[in-house]
Amino acid sequence: MEHDIQKVRNIGISAHIDSGKTTITERVLFYTKRIHAIHDVKGKDGIGATMDSMELEKERGITIASAATYCSWQGYEINIIDTPGHVDFTIEVERSLRVLDGAILVLCSVGGVQSQSITVDMQMKRYKIPCIAFINKCDRSGANPLRVIDQLKEKLGHNAIAMQIPIGIEADFTGIVDLVSMKAIYFDGDKGENIRTEDIPENLLAEAMEKREELIDAASMYSDELTEAILEEKEITEHLIVDAVRKGTLTREMTPVFIGSAYKNKGVQPLLDAVVNLLPCPRDVQNEALDMEKNETPVIMDSNPEKPVVALAFKLEDAQYGQLTYIRVYQGALAKGSSVINIRSGKKIKIGRLVRMHADQMEDIEAIPAGYIGALFGIDCISGDTFVAPGLNLSMTSMFVPNPVISLAIAPKNNEARINMSKALGRFTKEDPTFRTYVDDETNDTIIEGMGELHLEVYVERMRREYSAEVTTGKPRVAYRETITRMAEFNYIHKKQTGGAGQYGRVAGYMEPVADENFVFENKIVGGKIPSQFIASCEKGFRNCLAKGPKMGFPVTGVKIVINDGASHSVDSSEMAFQAAARGAFLEGYARARAVIHEPIMKVVVETPAEFQGSVMGLLNQRRGMIISCQDEGTLCAIEAQVPLVEMFGFSTVLRSSTQGKAQFTMEFAIYKQVPQSIAEELIEQAAKEKKNAA
Amino acid sequence: MIKKDFILNNPLKLIGYKTEDIIPEGGFGAVLARAGVGKTAFLVQIAMSALLRGKNVLHISLDNPVDKVNLWYKEVFNNLVKQYKTDWLWENILPHRFIMTFKVEGFSVPKLEERLTDLTGQNIFSPHMLIIDGLSFDESTRKSLPDLKAIAKKHSMHVWFAVRIHRHEQQGPDNMPAPFSKLADLFDVAIQLKPEGKEIHVRSLKGSAKTVKHPALLLDPSTMMIKNS
Repeated sequence: MEHDIQKVRNIGISAHIDSGKTTITERVLFYTKRIHAIHDVKGKDGIGATMDSMELEKERGITIASAATYCSWQGYEINIIDTPGHVDFTIEVERSLRVLDGAILVLCSVGGVQSQSITVDMQMKRYKIPCIAFINKCDRSGANPLRVIDQLKEKLGHNAIAMQIPIGIEADFTGIVDLVSMKAIYFDGDKGENIRTEDIPENLLAEAMEKREELIDAASMYSDELTEAILEEKEITEHLIVDAVRKGTLTREMTPVFIGSAYKNKGVQPLLDAVVNLLPCPRDVQNEALDMEKNETPVIMDSNPEKPVVALAFKLEDAQYGQLTYIRVYQGALAKGSSVINIRSGKKIKIGRLVRMHADQMEDIEAIPAGYIGALFGIDCISGDTFVAPGLNLSMTSMFVPNPVISLAIAPKNNEARINMSKALGRFTKEDPTFRTYVDDETNDTIIEGMGELHLEVYVERMRREYSAEVTTGKPRVAYRETITRMAEFNYIHKKQTGGAGQYGRVAGYMEPVADENFVFENKIVGGKIPSQFIASCEKGFRNCLAKGPKMGFPVTGVKIVINDGASHSVDSSEMAFQAAARGAFLEGYARARAVIHEPIMKVVVETPAEFQGSVMGLLNQRRGMIISCQDEGTLCAIEAQVPLVEMFGFSTVLRSSTQGKAQFTMEFAIYKQVPQSIAEELIEQAAKEKKNAA
Repeated sequence: MIKKDFILNNPLKLIGYKTEDIIPEGGFGAVLARAGVGKTAFLVQIAMSALLRGKNVLHISLDNPVDKVNLWYKEVFNNLVKQYKTDWLWENILPHRFIMTFKVEGFSVPKLEERLTDLTGQNIFSPHMLIIDGLSFDESTRKSLPDLKAIAKKHSMHVWFAVRIHRHEQQGPDNMPAPFSKLADLFDVAIQLKPEGKEIHVRSLKGSAKTVKHPALLLDPSTMMIKNS
């Protein structure tokens, strides 16, 4: 295996559902000779296309959309990385996007830029991923690639420039004109594998000349040599143009647009050429790790293979022989037999077997150098773990994992589902640190927790699809919290000295609110009023009270406990007695500390056509939302608001119906805020009712 | 009491205005400066002092995205918290502020009115103060300003503008920079920020309390915050 990092491309194919992602991937694998036959995604109306691809995968025994599929084109190695099918901003999405150096944004030439394309594009923007666009389905009736290019400019704000124009359109779509080489390209053979290059047809020459001018004009912004050549009227070589377009693409200032029809086997090979020529190699992209010793300050990675290794596990897969961990190396090289440290757990791991994934097979390799993607066998880790050479303390992902804000009770429908469900849950919690699960002590329900309604829905759906675990779900519950708002003193004696072994302990001190911490315990006892061996019991006693707050039974956060006085008995004091005393002291102090309920508040951004702005604001306002801003972006506008999570249930349906389905929204956790008095009263009432019912 | 300190120390009082509600309902105020001198920072400080008094501020920006405008507020807020060593909460400010951005070509007075009606009609937000940043002051603007004045009066608010002036422009007869002097009659207050050497001086061009001869007020060029000379 040769290591020329200039010849590596790690790319993702991002697309709107039903714009042909599976078909394109299929064709790419066929032309790069990874697979030897093309199977079609059924359903011309497109309904259920994603399901089809799953079926197809099963039937073929390979996963087209496996975490990273390797193929080669013109001596370049291309890793196609699976980008998540859902579009919520979660840690999982962030992780897969991190691994990409570039992407192909696939658009449908009929549907154009749709709301999901906007979300996909927003993610690319957020992670500054250079991309090229591919307008697919040019053979469909109603296809209009030029309109889609305009939409790319207007709706997504891309500096979109056509690199090709179609020869014929809709049913007459026969080939493309390449504006760089000024040649007409046709795709012959059953599967379009034979490329025939000819002169541009007469009737298209004028249009091609005009579009080429536009292309050169736009590209000249990024290359002095090209500008010079234009000014001095020298010959403009293909190399000059491609070079300039590449520069523009890498800085995300320009989006070259390609066209074709993957289903009709047209335009895929030039797209692969473009991936090789225009998208960045790992060295073109600057990657940062976080220095854990310096409060997560970013450190720039050096792709030099001699440097100590830094690698990220970005995806786990259940393979035949156990857990397969996909990793990307960012610095140094990961060699077979070497030892690395898992930063999260601190454990040392010896690398046993390294493989590279092909579509349907794997190949053992000796080392994975920086910029490359490979997989490890038999390593116990969770996705998002960083592996480093001993001595380094760097992490590719922030160690900060937000606490879940929503929970849902799930129950398996039958015994088979029960086994599959537990398998699935084990896998998901390893994959996604924001997804958690536990069994409720009181109700014996299995509870899953996550970052939003959609986040949990996705996992329930995956359980059904990937693990065939049919489950019924309860009503989602918001993770409320309790906290105190003022300082309060406590002085509690726990005394039980009538018959049997006695219990005695006195704990005194105060509690006060503390920001940024869940619980702080401070011991200011002097003179041994509480013997030192019982201090830990006191802390434990207080800590045990936190799980279920006295006010509403929600977890208590932001409390600092200081103990400064107490008393003990030489015979009757025990660890048990002090734990009980601490519990009593907590309840006593808590009752005076004016406890309040906090609820999770989400940052919600709604993108809507301007004409619905008023009604969208109204919707958010009705949901106790605080609208912070609204940004006019031409035909669209983005409204940002902070809305309590509990009010956001079912919002997508309401939003869709009141904006004719043209608006979409994203939501992420922002902060915890105090629940207004009236709502708090409702909650207390409801809790009392539930308690009564349970009893 | 510290909050009061800042309210007392507010930019307008420091120039010598008796009260900071110097602009009547429907009135206009302008902050003039060349590009990059600190118009936005100054306006945000005026807004912040209103926010701290519980007034609602609608900030309209025509050239900056929401995030950037928000950054200004955060920056000014953090500087204030540092300067006055207080524990005000950002969360308490937020409900009183609303940022709205438009594309320069997409902004018009009727559109603004439509948006304002959306906000007030549904009881989402009722501003006391409007800040318009990024509007270019040319002849066409003059035509729309009276309409804007009427809207401001109708909604009982006053408006602050950031007015960009250029180095090459001549000064008008009343010491006002050229393009603005034609519009000056519409404004109740005009303040100019002028870099002199390493400092930025704040001068009142119109509407200043006459009792103060020459208020010496400086902006710290590193933070763009007002400092006492």
